[in-house]
Amino acid sequence: MMRALRASGWIVAAVSAMALSISTAWAHPPFCICKMIDATTVRCEGGFADGTGVPGVKLDVIRYDESVVLETKFSADSTVSFKRPEGEFYILFDAGPGQSFDVDYKDIR
Amino acid sequence: MVALASPSRGASLWQRWRFHLSALVVIVPIVFTPAFFHENAFFDGKKGLGEREVGAIAVGPWSVRLAEFKLKEPDAEGRAGYAKEFALALCPACVDQVKAAYLRVGKPRNIRTMGALFSGTPYRQTAEMRIPDRTTADDELWLTLEGWDGTLHQATIPIRTASPLMAAWLEKAKR
Repeated sequence: MMRALRASGWIVAAVSAMALSISTAWAHPPFCICKMIDATTVRCEGGFADGTGVPGVKLDVIRYDESVVLETKFSADSTVSFKRPEGEFYILFDAGPGQSFDVDYKDIR
Repeated sequence: MVALASPSRGASLWQRWRFHLSALVVIVPIVFTPAFFHENAFFDGKKGLGEREVGAIAVGPWSVRLAEFKLKEPDAEGRAGYAKEFALALCPACVDQVKAAYLRVGKPRNIRTMGALFSGTPYRQTAEMRIPDRTTADDELWLTLEGWDGTLHQATIPIRTASPLMAAWLEKAKR
């Protein structure tokens, strides 16, 4: 009797833990953090909040007048480096509809 | 005559408390049962669109109902910063006409930056909207609806209207 009760307790605990982990794994927004690694080069690191990498995901550098300066993709280590353009521009991280966003040049750290 | 060995202290404690532990295993789930059924009904939509309904919003020829999914401050999403979840329901007449709905902070620069994509049924779909670092409580949310015919229609909602809780959180964060 006690053994059965103990076993059911472990089952309840395991199911509760699974339920909790499912509820916390709701969505994983993307990120793209861009920094100056020297005077002229920008390095962006991309990914999703759950740690998923973004190799092959598109990253475009676009001027405020919508002219495209650079079309590139994240490398196997989910980073991409490029020469910083002059003037006002933004970086477009594009992992598909609803998974894309822009990083303004003012937000490059 | 055989002398019985006295049980160790640990075994003795286990013998004494195992019944209470077993009872606890049964009681704890019972205590959480009402909360479980409440959450279940909420996720099924039986408790409304979200925990706080923003109201009806006209978006071009269409309209939607928007709600804060959970009445709480934005969630920390690790390196992705913070995000806030909203729920949306299309008007019954536009269910067949709207292909997708997007939400973001600030005006989209172009069609590729329309923000978080709502997913779910036309009657209740949700999106987790990223909150850029430079967002202020005076900014606006931009809701974009894309029709099956390719047309785009937009509406703006002040953050203070969409989520007073998020506005207060932003003001607190900027201090």
